[in-house]
Amino acid sequence: MGKLDGKVAIVTGAASGIGPSYAKALAAEGAKVSIADLEPADAVVRAIREAGGEAMTQICDVADAAAVARLVESTVKTFGGLHILVNNAAIYARYVAVRMDEISPADWDRAFAINVRGPFQCVQAALPHMRRQRYGKIINIASGTIFKGVPMMLHYVSTKGAILAMTRSMANELGKDGIRVNAIAPGLTSTDFLKSRNDIPGVLQTMAKTRALLREEEPEDLVGACVFFASPESDFITGQCLVVDGGQVMH
Amino acid sequence: MGRLDGKVAIVTGAAIGIGPYYARGLAAEGAKVAIIDLDPADRVVAEIKAAGGTAMSMIGDVSDRATVGKFIGAVEQTYGAVHILINNASLARMARIPVTELSTEEWDRYFAVNVRGMFLCVQAVVPIMKRQNYGKIVNITSGTVWNGPPMMLHYVSTKGAILGMTRALATELGQDGIRVNAIAPGLTSTEYIGGRNDYAEYRQAMAKTRAIKREELPEDIVGTCIFFSSPDSDFVTGQCLVVDGGAMKH
Repeated sequence: MGKLDGKVAIVTGAASGIGPSYAKALAAEGAKVSIADLEPADAVVRAIREAGGEAMTQICDVADAAAVARLVESTVKTFGGLHILVNNAAIYARYVAVRMDEISPADWDRAFAINVRGPFQCVQAALPHMRRQRYGKIINIASGTIFKGVPMMLHYVSTKGAILAMTRSMANELGKDGIRVNAIAPGLTSTDFLKSRNDIPGVLQTMAKTRALLREEEPEDLVGACVFFASPESDFITGQCLVVDGGQVMH
Repeated sequence: MGRLDGKVAIVTGAAIGIGPYYARGLAAEGAKVAIIDLDPADRVVAEIKAAGGTAMSMIGDVSDRATVGKFIGAVEQTYGAVHILINNASLARMARIPVTELSTEEWDRYFAVNVRGMFLCVQAVVPIMKRQNYGKIVNITSGTVWNGPPMMLHYVSTKGAILGMTRALATELGQDGIRVNAIAPGLTSTEYIGGRNDYAEYRQAMAKTRAIKREELPEDIVGTCIFFSSPDSDFVTGQCLVVDGGAMKH
Protein backbone atom coordinates (compact mmCIF):
# COMPACT_ATOMS: atom_id res chain seq x y z
CA MET A 1 0.00 0.00 0.00
CA GLY A 2 1.49 3.30 -1.07
CA LYS A 3 1.15 6.74 0.39
CA LEU A 4 -0.33 8.02 -2.88
CA ASP A 5 -2.69 5.19 -3.81
CA GLY A 6 -5.56 6.48 -5.91
CA LYS A 7 -3.83 9.79 -6.62
CA VAL A 8 -3.01 11.24 -10.03
CA ALA A 9 0.18 13.26 -10.50
CA ILE A 10 1.57 15.35 -13.32
CA VAL A 11 5.33 15.78 -13.41
CA THR A 12 6.57 18.28 -15.96
CA GLY A 13 10.02 17.94 -17.46
CA ALA A 14 10.40 14.30 -16.53
CA ALA A 15 12.14 12.89 -19.61
CA SER A 16 15.64 13.60 -18.27
CA GLY A 17 17.40 15.23 -15.33
CA ILE A 18 15.83 14.92 -11.88
CA GLY A 19 12.26 14.65 -13.24
CA PRO A 20 12.35 10.89 -13.94
CA SER A 21 13.32 10.26 -10.31
CA TYR A 22 10.30 12.26 -9.08
CA ALA A 23 7.98 10.45 -11.52
CA LYS A 24 9.22 6.98 -10.56
CA ALA A 25 9.04 7.72 -6.83
CA LEU A 26 5.46 9.04 -7.01
CA ALA A 27 4.47 5.98 -9.06
CA ALA A 28 6.17 3.68 -6.54
CA GLU A 29 3.91 5.18 -3.85
CA GLY A 30 0.85 4.32 -5.93
CA ALA A 31 0.19 7.51 -7.90
CA LYS A 32 -0.75 7.35 -11.56
CA VAL A 33 1.80 9.57 -13.23
CA SER A 34 1.45 11.74 -16.29
CA ILE A 35 4.72 13.01 -17.70
CA ALA A 36 5.08 16.09 -19.86
CA ASP A 37 8.29 17.03 -21.58
CA LEU A 38 9.61 18.56 -24.78
CA GLU A 39 11.45 15.28 -25.31
CA PRO A 40 9.85 11.82 -25.41
CA ALA A 41 9.69 10.21 -21.96
CA ASP A 42 8.88 6.70 -23.19
CA ALA A 43 11.79 5.16 -21.28
CA VAL A 44 10.51 6.61 -17.98
CA VAL A 45 6.97 5.40 -18.67
CA ARG A 46 8.32 1.94 -19.49
CA ALA A 47 10.35 1.83 -16.28
CA ILE A 48 7.29 2.78 -14.22
CA ARG A 49 5.12 0.16 -15.91
CA GLU A 50 7.77 -2.54 -15.49
CA ALA A 51 7.78 -1.76 -11.77
CA GLY A 52 4.02 -2.32 -11.69
CA GLY A 53 2.97 1.34 -11.82
CA GLU A 54 0.80 3.36 -14.16
CA ALA A 55 2.09 6.16 -16.34
CA MET A 56 1.42 8.08 -19.51
CA THR A 57 3.35 10.75 -21.36
CA GLN A 58 2.89 13.40 -23.92
CA ILE A 59 5.09 15.94 -25.61
CA CYS A 60 4.33 19.31 -24.10
CA ASP A 61 5.98 22.71 -24.02
CA VAL A 62 4.84 24.18 -20.70
CA ALA A 63 5.26 27.67 -22.18
CA ASP A 64 2.45 26.84 -24.63
CA ALA A 65 -0.88 27.34 -22.84
CA ALA A 66 -2.83 25.28 -25.37
CA ALA A 67 -0.42 22.36 -25.00
CA VAL A 68 -0.70 22.58 -21.20
CA ALA A 69 -4.50 22.56 -21.43
CA ARG A 70 -4.31 19.43 -23.60
CA LEU A 71 -1.93 17.79 -21.12
CA VAL A 72 -4.24 18.36 -18.16
CA GLU A 73 -7.31 17.37 -20.14
CA SER A 74 -5.86 14.08 -21.36
CA THR A 75 -4.46 13.29 -17.92
CA VAL A 76 -7.83 13.79 -16.24
CA LYS A 77 -9.58 11.86 -18.99
CA THR A 78 -7.18 8.93 -18.77
CA PHE A 79 -6.65 8.75 -15.00
CA GLY A 80 -9.89 10.30 -13.74
CA GLY A 81 -8.56 13.25 -11.73
CA LEU A 82 -5.57 15.38 -10.84
CA HIS A 83 -4.30 15.68 -7.28
CA ILE A 84 -0.59 16.40 -7.55
CA LEU A 85 1.31 18.76 -9.83
CA VAL A 86 5.09 18.77 -9.74
CA ASN A 87 6.28 21.84 -11.62
CA ASN A 88 9.73 20.59 -12.47
CA ALA A 89 10.18 21.59 -16.12
CA ALA A 90 12.80 24.31 -16.46
CA ILE A 91 15.59 25.41 -18.71
CA TYR A 92 18.78 25.07 -16.78
CA ALA A 93 21.59 23.38 -18.59
CA ARG A 94 22.19 25.91 -21.33
CA TYR A 95 22.19 28.74 -18.80
CA VAL A 96 25.23 27.74 -16.78
CA ALA A 97 28.26 30.04 -16.91
CA VAL A 98 26.79 32.95 -18.88
CA ARG A 99 27.95 36.47 -18.02
CA MET A 100 25.06 38.83 -17.53
CA ASP A 101 26.35 41.13 -20.28
CA GLU A 102 25.79 38.26 -22.70
CA ILE A 103 22.18 37.58 -21.83
CA SER A 104 19.93 38.82 -24.63
CA PRO A 105 16.36 39.96 -24.08
CA ALA A 106 15.27 36.90 -26.05
CA ASP A 107 17.23 34.57 -23.71
CA TRP A 108 15.77 36.34 -20.69
CA ASP A 109 12.22 36.06 -22.02
CA ARG A 110 12.66 32.42 -22.98
CA ALA A 111 13.86 31.59 -19.45
CA PHE A 112 10.83 33.30 -17.91
CA ALA A 113 8.43 31.80 -20.43
CA ILE A 114 9.43 28.25 -19.55
CA ASN A 115 10.54 28.48 -15.91
CA VAL A 116 7.88 30.89 -14.63
CA ARG A 117 4.98 31.26 -17.06
CA GLY A 118 5.13 27.47 -17.62
CA PRO A 119 4.41 26.54 -13.97
CA PHE A 120 1.83 29.35 -13.77
CA GLN A 121 -0.01 27.94 -16.78
CA CYS A 122 0.16 24.40 -15.41
CA VAL A 123 -1.36 25.56 -12.12
CA GLN A 124 -4.05 27.52 -13.95
CA ALA A 125 -5.02 24.46 -15.98
CA ALA A 126 -4.97 22.16 -12.95
CA LEU A 127 -7.04 24.47 -10.72
CA PRO A 128 -10.57 23.60 -11.85
CA HIS A 129 -9.90 19.92 -11.17
CA MET A 130 -8.22 20.45 -7.81
CA ARG A 131 -10.96 22.87 -6.77
CA ARG A 132 -13.64 20.36 -7.66
CA GLN A 133 -11.93 17.82 -5.40
CA ARG A 134 -11.29 20.50 -2.79
CA TYR A 135 -7.81 19.03 -2.59
CA GLY A 136 -4.58 19.53 -4.42
CA LYS A 137 -0.84 19.43 -3.87
CA ILE A 138 1.35 21.67 -5.97
CA ILE A 139 5.11 21.31 -5.74
CA ASN A 140 7.21 23.96 -7.42
CA ILE A 141 10.86 23.23 -7.97
CA ALA A 142 12.88 26.29 -7.02
CA SER A 143 16.65 26.22 -6.54
CA GLY A 144 19.30 26.71 -3.89
CA THR A 145 20.84 29.30 -6.22
CA ILE A 146 18.30 31.91 -5.09
CA PHE A 147 19.67 31.82 -1.54
CA LYS A 148 23.30 31.84 -2.63
CA GLY A 149 22.96 34.35 -5.44
CA VAL A 150 24.98 32.21 -7.81
CA PRO A 151 26.65 34.38 -10.47
CA MET A 152 26.81 33.82 -14.24
CA MET A 153 23.24 32.61 -14.60
CA LEU A 154 21.19 35.66 -13.72
CA HIS A 155 18.21 34.75 -15.86
CA TYR A 156 17.96 31.29 -14.32
CA VAL A 157 18.36 32.49 -10.72
CA SER A 158 15.79 35.23 -11.29
CA THR A 159 13.23 32.74 -12.60
CA LYS A 160 13.71 30.59 -9.51
CA GLY A 161 13.27 33.60 -7.24
CA ALA A 162 9.96 34.20 -8.99
CA ILE A 163 9.01 30.60 -8.24
CA LEU A 164 9.49 31.20 -4.50
CA ALA A 165 7.28 34.29 -4.60
CA MET A 166 4.67 32.44 -6.67
CA THR A 167 4.65 29.59 -4.19
CA ARG A 168 3.77 31.94 -1.33
CA SER A 169 1.10 33.92 -3.19
CA MET A 170 -0.50 30.79 -4.58
CA ALA A 171 -0.56 29.23 -1.10
CA ASN A 172 -2.53 32.19 0.21
CA GLU A 173 -4.88 32.37 -2.74
CA LEU A 174 -5.62 28.65 -2.96
CA GLY A 175 -5.67 27.64 0.71
CA LYS A 176 -9.43 28.05 0.97
CA ASP A 177 -9.82 25.50 -1.82
CA GLY A 178 -7.77 22.90 0.02
CA ILE A 179 -4.87 23.31 -2.37
CA ARG A 180 -1.39 23.27 -0.82
CA VAL A 181 1.54 24.88 -2.59
CA ASN A 182 5.13 24.27 -1.53
CA ALA A 183 8.58 24.48 -3.06
CA ILE A 184 11.68 22.33 -3.05
CA ALA A 185 15.06 24.00 -3.56
CA PRO A 186 17.63 21.43 -4.70
CA GLY A 187 21.34 22.05 -4.69
CA LEU A 188 23.54 21.35 -7.71
CA THR A 189 22.55 17.79 -8.55
CA SER A 190 24.68 15.25 -10.39
CA THR A 191 22.29 14.37 -13.20
CA ASP A 192 23.54 12.38 -16.17
CA PHE A 193 23.66 15.58 -18.18
CA LEU A 194 25.84 17.48 -15.72
CA LYS A 195 28.14 14.51 -15.23
CA SER A 196 28.66 14.35 -19.00
CA ARG A 197 29.80 17.95 -19.18
CA ASN A 198 33.55 18.39 -19.13
CA ASP A 199 33.34 21.79 -17.46
CA ILE A 200 31.10 20.59 -14.62
CA PRO A 201 32.65 17.60 -12.76
CA GLY A 202 35.15 19.77 -10.91
CA VAL A 203 32.27 21.96 -9.82
CA LEU A 204 30.28 18.97 -8.56
CA GLN A 205 33.21 17.94 -6.34
CA THR A 206 33.86 21.47 -5.13
CA MET A 207 30.20 21.86 -4.19
CA ALA A 208 30.29 18.60 -2.25
CA LYS A 209 32.92 20.07 0.07
CA THR A 210 30.70 23.02 0.96
CA ARG A 211 27.90 20.77 2.22
CA ALA A 212 27.43 19.59 5.80
CA LEU A 213 27.03 16.08 4.35
CA LEU A 214 30.18 16.41 2.20
CA ARG A 215 29.13 14.52 -0.92
CA GLU A 216 27.60 15.10 -4.35
CA GLU A 217 23.83 15.45 -4.56
CA GLU A 218 22.10 12.69 -6.52
CA PRO A 219 18.61 12.87 -8.04
CA GLU A 220 17.50 10.17 -5.58
CA ASP A 221 18.26 12.54 -2.69
CA LEU A 222 15.30 14.70 -3.71
CA VAL A 223 12.52 12.16 -4.06
CA GLY A 224 11.71 11.86 -0.34
CA ALA A 225 10.88 15.56 -0.12
CA CYS A 226 8.78 15.34 -3.29
CA VAL A 227 6.78 12.37 -1.96
CA PHE A 228 6.40 14.14 1.41
CA PHE A 229 4.97 17.31 -0.14
CA ALA A 230 2.74 15.18 -2.40
CA SER A 231 1.36 13.08 0.45
CA PRO A 232 -1.27 13.82 3.14
CA GLU A 233 1.55 13.90 5.71
CA SER A 234 2.22 17.51 4.70
CA ASP A 235 -1.42 18.61 4.51
CA PHE A 236 -0.97 21.43 7.05
CA ILE A 237 2.10 22.77 5.27
CA THR A 238 1.67 25.39 2.58
CA GLY A 239 3.69 28.30 1.26
CA GLN A 240 6.96 26.75 2.44
CA CYS A 241 10.26 26.07 0.73
CA LEU A 242 12.42 23.15 1.79
CA VAL A 243 16.07 23.26 0.77
CA VAL A 244 17.36 19.77 -0.07
CA ASP A 245 21.06 20.16 -0.64
CA GLY A 246 22.93 18.27 2.05
CA GLY A 247 23.15 21.33 4.25
CA GLN A 248 24.80 23.95 2.11
CA VAL A 249 22.18 26.67 2.27
CA MET A 250 20.45 26.68 5.66
CA HIS A 251 16.94 27.97 5.30
CA MET B 1 6.32 -2.55 7.78
CA GLY B 2 7.07 0.90 9.17
CA ARG B 3 9.51 3.46 7.88
CA LEU B 4 11.31 3.49 11.22
CA ASP B 5 11.52 -0.25 11.89
CA GLY B 6 14.56 -1.05 14.01
CA LYS B 7 15.10 2.58 14.97
CA VAL B 8 15.26 3.98 18.49
CA ALA B 9 13.75 7.43 19.04
CA ILE B 10 13.89 9.75 22.02
CA VAL B 11 11.11 12.29 22.42
CA THR B 12 11.59 14.84 25.18
CA GLY B 13 8.57 16.46 26.80
CA ALA B 14 6.12 13.84 25.61
CA ALA B 15 3.80 13.52 28.61
CA ILE B 16 1.43 16.26 27.45
CA GLY B 17 1.01 18.76 24.61
CA ILE B 18 2.20 17.88 21.12
CA GLY B 19 4.90 15.46 22.37
CA PRO B 20 2.63 12.44 22.84
CA TYR B 21 1.55 12.77 19.19
CA TYR B 22 5.17 12.69 18.01
CA ALA B 23 5.86 9.69 20.26
CA ARG B 24 2.84 7.73 19.04
CA GLY B 25 3.53 8.70 15.40
CA LEU B 26 7.13 7.46 15.54
CA ALA B 27 6.08 4.26 17.36
CA ALA B 28 3.41 3.59 14.73
CA GLU B 29 6.20 3.65 12.11
CA GLY B 30 8.10 0.99 14.03
CA ALA B 31 10.49 3.01 16.20
CA LYS B 32 11.12 2.08 19.80
CA VAL B 33 10.33 5.24 21.72
CA ALA B 34 11.86 6.61 24.95
CA ILE B 35 10.23 9.57 26.66
CA ILE B 36 11.58 11.96 29.25
CA ASP B 37 9.31 14.52 30.90
CA LEU B 38 8.91 16.35 34.20
CA ASP B 39 5.50 14.71 34.43
CA PRO B 40 4.81 10.99 34.23
CA ALA B 41 4.27 9.74 30.66
CA ASP B 42 2.87 6.36 31.69
CA ARG B 43 -0.35 6.92 29.78
CA VAL B 44 1.52 7.60 26.51
CA VAL B 45 3.73 4.54 27.04
CA ALA B 46 0.65 2.43 27.73
CA GLU B 47 -1.06 3.70 24.57
CA ILE B 48 1.99 2.88 22.46
CA LYS B 49 2.22 -0.62 23.95
CA ALA B 50 -1.51 -1.20 23.50
CA ALA B 51 -1.06 -0.34 19.80
CA GLY B 52 1.66 -2.99 19.54
CA GLY B 53 4.63 -0.67 19.87
CA THR B 54 7.59 -0.46 22.22
CA ALA B 55 8.13 2.43 24.63
CA MET B 56 9.68 3.45 27.91
CA SER B 57 9.67 6.66 29.92
CA MET B 58 11.48 8.40 32.73
CA ILE B 59 10.57 11.38 34.86
CA GLY B 60 13.27 13.98 34.58
CA ASP B 61 14.35 17.52 33.80
CA VAL B 62 16.24 18.01 30.51
CA SER B 63 17.98 21.10 31.89
CA ASP B 64 19.90 18.91 34.34
CA ARG B 65 23.04 17.31 32.91
CA ALA B 66 23.15 14.35 35.31
CA THR B 67 19.48 13.51 34.66
CA VAL B 68 19.96 13.63 30.89
CA GLY B 69 23.06 11.43 31.17
CA LYS B 70 21.18 8.91 33.26
CA PHE B 71 18.25 8.89 30.86
CA ILE B 72 20.32 8.46 27.68
CA GLY B 73 22.34 5.73 29.43
CA ALA B 74 19.12 3.89 30.30
CA VAL B 75 17.81 4.18 26.74
CA GLU B 76 21.05 2.85 25.27
CA GLN B 77 21.10 -0.01 27.73
CA THR B 78 17.46 -0.93 27.09
CA TYR B 79 17.30 -0.48 23.31
CA GLY B 80 20.98 -0.68 22.35
CA ALA B 81 21.09 2.49 20.21
CA VAL B 82 19.72 5.97 19.64
CA HIS B 83 18.94 6.97 16.04
CA ILE B 84 16.41 9.75 16.46
CA LEU B 85 16.20 12.60 18.96
CA ILE B 86 13.10 14.80 18.98
CA ASN B 87 13.97 17.84 21.09
CA ASN B 88 10.45 18.84 21.99
CA ALA B 89 10.61 19.58 25.74
CA SER B 90 10.02 23.25 26.30
CA LEU B 91 8.56 25.66 28.77
CA ALA B 92 5.57 27.29 27.13
CA ARG B 93 3.31 28.48 29.87
CA MET B 94 2.30 31.23 27.45
CA ALA B 95 1.83 33.75 30.24
CA ARG B 96 1.88 37.21 28.72
CA ILE B 97 4.60 39.23 30.38
CA PRO B 98 5.68 42.72 29.25
CA VAL B 99 9.42 42.96 28.66
CA THR B 100 9.78 45.42 31.56
CA GLU B 101 8.33 42.86 33.98
CA LEU B 102 10.31 39.84 32.82
CA SER B 103 12.59 38.78 35.69
CA THR B 104 16.12 37.49 35.26
CA GLU B 105 15.03 34.25 36.93
CA GLU B 106 12.19 33.69 34.48
CA TRP B 107 14.47 34.50 31.53
CA ASP B 108 17.12 32.06 32.77
CA ARG B 109 14.57 29.35 33.50
CA TYR B 110 13.27 29.45 29.92
CA PHE B 111 16.78 29.34 28.48
CA ALA B 112 17.76 26.53 30.86
CA VAL B 113 14.95 24.26 29.74
CA ASN B 114 14.35 25.29 26.11
CA VAL B 115 17.93 25.83 24.98
CA ARG B 116 20.37 24.28 27.47
CA GLY B 117 18.09 21.25 27.76
CA MET B 118 18.27 20.74 24.02
CA PHE B 119 22.03 21.22 24.02
CA LEU B 120 22.48 18.67 26.83
CA CYS B 121 20.34 16.08 25.05
CA VAL B 122 22.31 16.57 21.83
CA GLN B 123 25.61 16.33 23.67
CA ALA B 124 24.55 13.06 25.29
CA VAL B 125 23.31 11.34 22.11
CA VAL B 126 26.01 12.49 19.68
CA PRO B 127 28.64 9.93 20.81
CA ILE B 128 26.10 7.14 20.20
CA MET B 129 25.04 8.55 16.84
CA LYS B 130 28.69 9.00 15.82
CA ARG B 131 29.35 5.33 16.53
CA GLN B 132 26.44 4.44 14.24
CA ASN B 133 27.59 7.06 11.74
CA TYR B 134 23.90 7.95 11.52
CA GLY B 135 21.51 10.11 13.45
CA LYS B 136 18.48 12.31 13.00
CA ILE B 137 17.97 15.23 15.35
CA VAL B 138 14.74 17.22 15.13
CA ASN B 139 14.53 20.44 17.12
CA ILE B 140 11.14 21.96 17.77
CA THR B 141 11.27 25.71 17.33
CA SER B 142 8.23 27.93 16.79
CA GLY B 143 6.44 30.07 14.25
CA THR B 144 6.75 32.90 16.80
CA VAL B 145 10.34 33.37 15.58
CA TRP B 146 8.79 34.75 12.36
CA ASN B 147 5.83 36.76 13.61
CA GLY B 148 7.43 37.94 16.88
CA PRO B 149 4.34 38.03 19.09
CA PRO B 150 4.64 40.48 21.98
CA MET B 151 4.65 39.76 25.73
CA MET B 152 6.52 36.47 25.53
CA LEU B 153 10.03 37.65 24.76
CA HIS B 154 11.72 34.92 26.78
CA TYR B 155 9.91 32.15 24.93
CA VAL B 156 10.40 33.64 21.45
CA SER B 157 14.09 34.29 22.16
CA THR B 158 14.70 30.67 23.16
CA LYS B 159 13.07 29.51 19.93
CA GLY B 160 15.30 31.86 17.91
CA ALA B 161 18.33 30.33 19.61
CA ILE B 162 17.13 26.89 18.55
CA LEU B 163 17.17 27.95 14.91
CA GLY B 164 20.82 29.01 15.25
CA MET B 165 21.68 25.79 17.07
CA THR B 166 20.05 23.70 14.36
CA ARG B 167 22.24 25.25 11.67
CA ALA B 168 25.49 25.16 13.63
CA LEU B 169 24.89 21.54 14.68
CA ALA B 170 24.05 20.52 11.11
CA THR B 171 27.39 21.85 9.92
CA GLU B 172 29.39 20.35 12.79
CA LEU B 173 27.77 16.91 12.72
CA GLY B 174 27.29 16.37 8.98
CA GLN B 175 30.59 14.53 8.60
CA ASP B 176 29.33 11.97 11.14
CA GLY B 177 26.13 11.28 9.22
CA ILE B 178 24.03 13.15 11.74
CA ARG B 179 21.24 15.31 10.28
CA VAL B 180 19.79 18.20 12.25
CA ASN B 181 16.57 19.93 11.24
CA ALA B 182 13.90 22.04 12.89
CA ILE B 183 10.13 22.17 12.83
CA ALA B 184 8.32 25.43 13.55
CA PRO B 185 4.70 24.76 14.49
CA GLY B 186 2.11 27.51 14.72
CA LEU B 187 -0.12 28.02 17.73
CA THR B 188 -1.43 24.51 18.24
CA SER B 189 -4.68 23.59 19.94
CA THR B 190 -3.32 21.09 22.41
CA GLU B 191 -5.47 20.08 25.36
CA TYR B 192 -3.64 22.73 27.38
CA ILE B 193 -3.99 25.62 24.93
CA GLY B 194 -7.42 24.46 23.79
CA GLY B 195 -8.59 24.44 27.39
CA ARG B 196 -7.50 27.98 28.14
CA ASN B 197 -10.28 30.52 27.86
CA ASP B 198 -7.84 33.42 27.54
CA TYR B 199 -6.51 31.82 24.35
CA ALA B 200 -9.84 31.18 22.63
CA GLU B 201 -9.85 34.51 20.81
CA TYR B 202 -6.17 34.26 19.87
CA ARG B 203 -6.66 30.73 18.52
CA GLN B 204 -9.45 31.93 16.26
CA ALA B 205 -7.51 35.02 15.19
CA MET B 206 -4.53 32.82 14.23
CA ALA B 207 -6.78 30.52 12.22
CA LYS B 208 -7.83 33.50 10.09
CA THR B 209 -4.21 34.43 9.31
CA ARG B 210 -3.55 31.00 7.79
CA ALA B 211 -3.86 30.05 4.13
CA ILE B 212 -5.64 26.96 5.49
CA LYS B 213 -8.18 28.68 7.69
CA ARG B 214 -8.57 26.51 10.73
CA GLU B 215 -6.98 25.84 14.10
CA GLU B 216 -3.78 23.81 14.12
CA LEU B 217 -4.03 20.41 15.76
CA PRO B 218 -1.19 18.30 17.18
CA GLU B 219 -1.83 15.67 14.47
CA ASP B 220 -0.94 18.25 11.81
CA ILE B 221 2.73 18.18 12.78
CA VAL B 222 3.30 14.44 13.10
CA GLY B 223 3.93 13.83 9.38
CA THR B 224 6.81 16.31 9.36
CA CYS B 225 8.31 14.75 12.47
CA ILE B 226 8.28 11.33 10.78
CA PHE B 227 9.69 12.80 7.55
CA PHE B 228 12.65 14.39 9.34
CA SER B 229 13.16 11.13 11.31
CA SER B 230 13.06 8.85 8.28
CA PRO B 231 15.60 8.15 5.53
CA ASP B 232 13.32 10.12 3.18
CA SER B 233 15.02 13.27 4.45
CA ASP B 234 18.58 11.97 4.60
CA PHE B 235 19.94 14.71 2.31
CA VAL B 236 18.15 17.44 4.25
CA THR B 237 20.05 19.08 7.09
CA GLY B 238 20.18 22.51 8.70
CA GLN B 239 16.67 23.31 7.51
CA CYS B 240 13.56 24.57 9.25
CA LEU B 241 10.12 23.67 8.01
CA VAL B 242 7.22 25.82 9.18
CA VAL B 243 4.11 23.71 9.77
CA ASP B 244 1.33 26.20 10.44
CA GLY B 245 -1.22 26.03 7.65
CA GLY B 246 0.61 28.74 5.74
CA ALA B 247 0.52 31.65 8.22
CA MET B 248 4.26 32.28 7.85
CA LYS B 249 5.92 31.68 4.49
CA HIS B 250 9.42 30.42 4.97
